[in-house]
Amino acid sequence: MMGSLRRITAVAGNTFLEAVRQKVFAVLLVFALVLIYGANYFTEFSFQEQFKFLKDLGYASISLTGLLVGLLGASQLIPGEIERRTILTALCRPLRRWEFIAGKYLGLATLLAVMVAIMAIAVGGVLGWKEAQLIAREGSDPAVAAAIQKEARDPRLLQAVLLVEMKLAVVAAVAVFFSTIATSTTFVMAMTLMVYLIGHLESVAREQWLESGEVASWVAKAFLAVVAFLVPDFNLYNLIDEIIAGNAVSWRSTLEVTGYSAVYIAVLLTAASVLFEGRDI
Amino acid sequence: MSAAVRTERLRKEFPMGWFRGRVLALEGLDMEVKRGEVFGLLGPNGSGKSTAMKMILGLLRPTSGKAEVCGFRAGTIAARRQIGFLPENPYFPNFLSGTELVRYYGRLSGMGGAVLEKRIQELMELVRLGGEAGKRPLRTYSKGMLQRVGLAGAMVGDPEILMLDEPTAGVDPAGSREIRDLILELRGRGKTVIFSSHLLEQVEDVADRVIILHRGQKLREGRLEDLLTRKKEWEVNVQGLKEEDRKELRGWLEKRGVQVVREGAPRERLEDYFLRSLPEEKRK
Ligand SMILES: Nc1ncnc2c1ncn2[C@@H]1O[C@H](COP(=O)(O)OP(=O)(O)O)[C@@H](O)[C@H]1O
Ligand SMILES: [Mg+2]
Repeated sequence: MMGSLRRITAVAGNTFLEAVRQKVFAVLLVFALVLIYGANYFTEFSFQEQFKFLKDLGYASISLTGLLVGLLGASQLIPGEIERRTILTALCRPLRRWEFIAGKYLGLATLLAVMVAIMAIAVGGVLGWKEAQLIAREGSDPAVAAAIQKEARDPRLLQAVLLVEMKLAVVAAVAVFFSTIATSTTFVMAMTLMVYLIGHLESVAREQWLESGEVASWVAKAFLAVVAFLVPDFNLYNLIDEIIAGNAVSWRSTLEVTGYSAVYIAVLLTAASVLFEGRDI
Repeated sequence: MSAAVRTERLRKEFPMGWFRGRVLALEGLDMEVKRGEVFGLLGPNGSGKSTAMKMILGLLRPTSGKAEVCGFRAGTIAARRQIGFLPENPYFPNFLSGTELVRYYGRLSGMGGAVLEKRIQELMELVRLGGEAGKRPLRTYSKGMLQRVGLAGAMVGDPEILMLDEPTAGVDPAGSREIRDLILELRGRGKTVIFSSHLLEQVEDVADRVIILHRGQKLREGRLEDLLTRKKEWEVNVQGLKEEDRKELRGWLEKRGVQVVREGAPRERLEDYFLRSLPEEKRK
């Protein structure tokens, strides 16, 4: 057990180190530029609108950056190692295949978590800066100042950060799953992206099909059930949009979605390990 | 005691896609490597050497047949603990330095702490990558250095068996001499070494026994001495034989009914000539 843990952390550490040395964190600079540019935009609008815009922008750029790093990273993880043949010198050691998968995933998930945390802190910083700027300009009335502060320091944003982390963690697990059957990095990226899109459309399609009553045959139902089982429902993470829109979202539903994500990740990684076990390297 | 490596009718077919049938890479290989032996797997490119090694490591699944390492089924953790592997044209994560690479492999083999650090130090000295060289990123390494750091990585868990796939391919004569010396040194320490080569002349002086493969089939097997000695011939190398003495010697041989197969000044191999031309301190 201790041995397993040591080997998994060795693989994870190496994966993380690779990302650092390949200067993956440099994309954060682009992110920062977008944010700073965005912060000085729309200054003629009301403070509510400005905050809403900043939060939207922050969320969109965190998502996009995370998705990009997750997709590229995951496709490099296993197919990349097979293509470069570095995997031979790892898997010939007293290391189980599932330990390798777990380590790779852990490394990538840690990378994503660290990046999201950094980006979230940056967004928090920009919100604080905006707050100071707005209070200096319009905050002579204590009531307005309080309202501005409330917008800028919304504690629900923490829930949003957690949800983004989970969403990206699921995407990474999907990518790792495809990695174990893929022969090329392109295949992994294409398949993962497809699952991501289907995952967004799935529940919409379900409502449309079933409630319109047109295609409610058992075939359609069975098909939807299979898709729903295989593809994670990414619409669950729309809670983030609710939070940004300023609507109340309970911690309870946040944790439910987190739990759902964890289960999905566990299932995907288990399936990945099983598929990888018998594969010729 | 069980053999270091034993295979029985080991066979591998690769599927080539849906309608293109299968490639037969290795056809029922029987092989037994004793402990402490230096064993050569020889044969041209595509003869199945790498395939055999990967099955012994459990990286490939045999289509049929079986392989054992020190009595353990190939591919199990217990079996892999016994083998250190250096793949053909190895590629390493090139964002690491030499020392970091060996440390990573040590961790994957379940080592850690001061024991590992001490081991890394020793190994890097052994493959002459101690000091500054070990701290450089691998992408700045020459082919020979990569091969040596790969050897250090293979040895980190102190395995009983070292399996080296084409360890001298693409390495210059001095480098390949070094690798040969290292193999002999390992044998001196009681390790078993299995290596493959398509450059046949490189193995003469190191392998105790060899198998020669061709298109997945075993052509020959045995001790090099037995395979290569021309038992019917005899060779004497002398210095200072004069022209007239040569004539006389030929006459003497003819009188006794001895057939002269070849005679003349022996030629040195270019490789040896090159090594001899190096200044003394660079030879080792
Ligand atoms: N992954 C693979 N897929 C299909 N064919 C392969 C694969 N690996 C090896 N082969 C084929 O198997 C045969 C033996 O290859 P290999 O073991 O690499 O030979 P060697 O190491 O002696 O050069 C070759 O014909 C090669 O093309
Ligand atoms: Mg080969």
